[in-house]
Amino acid sequence: MSYVDAGYAVALATLFVYAVGLVLRRRRWERALRVSEAPVAEADGAPGPGERL
Amino acid sequence: MSERALPPGRPRWLDVVGVLGVIAMGFTVWLGLWVTPPDVVQGNLARLLYIHPPIATVALYWVGIVAAGGSLLYLWPRTRSLFWDRLAASSVEVGAVFSALTLVTGSLWGRPAWGVWWTWDARLTSTALLLLLEIGYMALRRVPAEPAVRARRCAVAALLIAIDIPIVHFSVDWWQTLHQGGTVLDPGFDLRVHGIMLWTLGLGFVAFSLIFVWLLGVRYQVEVLQDAVGDQELEVSLTERWSEDTELVGVGAGDPEPHPGRGAP
Repeated sequence: MSYVDAGYAVALATLFVYAVGLVLRRRRWERALRVSEAPVAEADGAPGPGERL
Repeated sequence: MSERALPPGRPRWLDVVGVLGVIAMGFTVWLGLWVTPPDVVQGNLARLLYIHPPIATVALYWVGIVAAGGSLLYLWPRTRSLFWDRLAASSVEVGAVFSALTLVTGSLWGRPAWGVWWTWDARLTSTALLLLLEIGYMALRRVPAEPAVRARRCAVAALLIAIDIPIVHFSVDWWQTLHQGGTVLDPGFDLRVHGIMLWTLGLGFVAFSLIFVWLLGVRYQVEVLQDAVGDQELEVSLTERWSEDTELVGVGAGDPEPHPGRGAP
């Protein structure tokens, strides 16, 4: 493999892997947000700070 | 400052930018590797220059503008918003990838052209310093703190990092370096590259800029989602705490017996 081929391969592969990693991170955080929203929705019936007494 | 993070939508324009970036990148690679002729002096090695200067341009100028601009707009009281903080942080992370690629592609060009993988040249050293500073910024961002404190801290750090950008840019003029001066323009602002080579290089600038915008957009969405999950977890913790308090108050009010530990009055 020539230096030119290696340069193109490294640049394109790095950007591809980083892009895929970002998309996967976005998907994971979207799932985490959906999971974390569920307890809040369940706890909506719980009294708030102004209702504690 | 408390600014609740709202989960981002997925704007259509960002997908369009991503697709255009991939198409432009495909054409750049095709033109750069198969269509353009070898250079008179450098031969086939000149083909690396269709990607190295565009990558360096993104790493230096686009990232610098977004990171420093976002940080300034965050620090300015009238425009203070976590939007600018998140944008700057996203830019620095994407910038670190481009800075690393600048060094690697430059090194792959330098080995056959200069005979060395690395030399302590002013341009190379200041670019390596930029990468280290960007990694430091990302480490600083992971230090636990209130969002406003973290944002202010990171904005100051980003502005300090931005000082390195003009040093990288002017290093070839300020010092006698191994690295050559401008690739596209000579000191008299005349073009050094012509014909199909110029078009390929121009397309390379467009392709990597579009890819940068797409990566920045997706990274920004990740940043907002992280903050939104953090807000939700905080809300859940507070709700649980309020519920516990309410139960304790309820138990105390309905319990006529004195608490064993407190003794009888």
